[in-house]
Amino acid sequence: MMETLFSYGPQGWGDELLAGVWVTLRLAAATLPVGLLLGFVVAAASLSRRPVLRAMGWGYTTVMRGMPEILTLFIVYNGLGLGLNRLLDHFAPQIGAVDFPPFAAGVIALALVFAAFAAEVLRGAFQAVPEGQVLAGLAIGMTGRQVFWRIKLPQLWRFALPGMGNLWLNLLKDTALVSVIALDDLMRATKVAVGVTKQPFTFYLAACLIYWGLCLGSELVLTRLEARANRGVRRA
Amino acid sequence: MSLIESLSTNLPKLLDGAETTLILTGLGAALAAVFSPGLALIRLFGPTPAKMLLRAYISFVRGTPLLAQLFLVFYGSGQFRAELTGLGLWSFFRDPFNCAVLVFVINSCAYQTEILRGGIEAVPPGEIEAARAIGMTRARVLARVIFPHAYRIAWPALGNEVILLMKASALASIVTVFDLMGRTRQIFSRSFEFSVYFEAAALYLLITVVFVFLWRQIERRLTRHMRRTQGS
Amino acid sequence: MPPKIATDLVLSAQDIHKSFGAQEVLKGITLGARNHDVISILGTSGSGKSTFLRCLNCLEVPNSGSVAVHGEEIVFRNGRIGDQRQIERLRRHLGMVFQQFNLWTHRTVLENVMEGPVQVKRMPKAEARDLAEGLLARVGLADRMGHYPAMLSGGQQQRVAIARALAMEPDVILFDEPTSALDPELVGEVLKVMQDLAAEGRTMIVVTHEMAFARDVSTEVVFLNEGRIAEQGPPEKLFDHPETEVFARFISKTRRDFA
Repeated sequence: MMETLFSYGPQGWGDELLAGVWVTLRLAAATLPVGLLLGFVVAAASLSRRPVLRAMGWGYTTVMRGMPEILTLFIVYNGLGLGLNRLLDHFAPQIGAVDFPPFAAGVIALALVFAAFAAEVLRGAFQAVPEGQVLAGLAIGMTGRQVFWRIKLPQLWRFALPGMGNLWLNLLKDTALVSVIALDDLMRATKVAVGVTKQPFTFYLAACLIYWGLCLGSELVLTRLEARANRGVRRA
Repeated sequence: MSLIESLSTNLPKLLDGAETTLILTGLGAALAAVFSPGLALIRLFGPTPAKMLLRAYISFVRGTPLLAQLFLVFYGSGQFRAELTGLGLWSFFRDPFNCAVLVFVINSCAYQTEILRGGIEAVPPGEIEAARAIGMTRARVLARVIFPHAYRIAWPALGNEVILLMKASALASIVTVFDLMGRTRQIFSRSFEFSVYFEAAALYLLITVVFVFLWRQIERRLTRHMRRTQGS
Repeated sequence: MPPKIATDLVLSAQDIHKSFGAQEVLKGITLGARNHDVISILGTSGSGKSTFLRCLNCLEVPNSGSVAVHGEEIVFRNGRIGDQRQIERLRRHLGMVFQQFNLWTHRTVLENVMEGPVQVKRMPKAEARDLAEGLLARVGLADRMGHYPAMLSGGQQQRVAIARALAMEPDVILFDEPTSALDPELVGEVLKVMQDLAAEGRTMIVVTHEMAFARDVSTEVVFLNEGRIAEQGPPEKLFDHPETEVFARFISKTRRDFA
């Protein structure tokens, strides 16, 4: 019976779940670069010499990290939806009410959250690069820009990686929230399967195991990356 | 609608929701705190099979979305309705609030156990030896030296965990618990009044700020003995 | 008004003042180095000797005074950096060897040495590689080029750092207590390299605690005390006939440490 439930084809739910996994992974993968980029911007603001920028960076990270992710998601999804409809009413009233694309809303909301945490990790990493490394660059006549690109940034990776790894795992898990705004990710595919088969425990357990597998796989990769990043730093 | 007007109609409901949020979080964190010290000890010093089991439990909790865990318990229990009714447990699982608390306890307990394990590992071995040397029993060493130390070390991390749990408790709204998030969604779905989200955000931030303040006060008391060495 | 800079100086510092907050660490120091000079700067901890060295390549920005390399002069007012470009240009003429080596941990030994020529001097990579390999061979590390700094001993790391400084073909090399962070048994290998450089006629300014080096290798010794030059001259004269009581006490104390 298990075999038919999870089989690949019209009777089983294997293909639907797999399609859900694909959406989940795409969502996380699409969010990562956006969140990282925004995280860099926020970190730069937090480390800025200008008090106004610093205050903005601090405010952003504090508010974003203090709010439940699901609330951020609703604000983004409904806010963008309202905004979009208001624009459409104004410019193209014949179209009528539309929903904001949930995938894009998911990416934006998750990236906003990711960026707040990433900014803190990056800020810490920037400050963790030993001063001597920078001085040595200045001493041979490097410009500030060269010091940033050639010395600080390559070493940043090493200090930021453990924190970033955790954020990636959180991101993978947070994608589940997007099922609430009608995106056909793994969580929602499971829900559909449950609705038809009336076997909620079986399917939600399967979903949990799939997420667990994704996280364990990620951890494996992250351990390797960390070992690579630390090559040359810890004694062999 | 003006902000004042909107607040005066929404605030009572939101505050009611916030109360539920606090109860959910408090109950979840406190019950988890009952189990975590014992589990941390097993995780460190228990028999190998128990250690393995605990590791698997912690890894599972950390590797799966809380939402999935919540659905697994709340909807999943329906698959065993007959059995649960026979055991007299069905009325417990039928209530989303109970399921949410149960999941939060299971979830937070895993994180708290890991945090405490780190705290115990960070206790200076010399102090444990000193306690043994004056003839303390194992239980006394635990109660007088190891745990007081471990909790002091782990305190900030435990505070973070409670805040994370508070934020995560918003997921209970998805299984129809009317916590702060639940009330917020209810108000929005009836009135399409977008500002309610910001009011909710402000309340969540307020809870966090007050909690951080209180937690730091306790931390100051816990670390009284350290203050002189930290220099002034 | 301090005396005008003599033109045969490769590096000269005029009336350098430096304060940290309310505390004045350097109270007007003037020093010049001609080609082939090896100047040892001695002083108790807190005398300002490291700060002075770092002022020379503007890692510390003096509050007032001026530094000139090759006749190009940078004048400091109110501790401000005037022209960043000018400072970068100045630094390219000055090599620096740090107490803590400060090798870039994310690059191999060879890459550490090539970095300056390639990135700052825009030297073609192949040429920089030849240069770096030659320099590493000279400091006795030809077999360590592919290693990362953490795999090396302190003495080896410091020799790489010296090769890195040499790779910029500097007019003057500044050494900031280059052996102070080393285990005693590793000090010798670094001093040997420095001695060879001095014998080659390199111009060097060395902040150090190594009395033997100051006495036997340097052409000039400067003793700093409380932010001022207390004594200055050829080593044999200074060590045998100290003029001030502080310096006499300083050398007798270090002699006792060595005994």
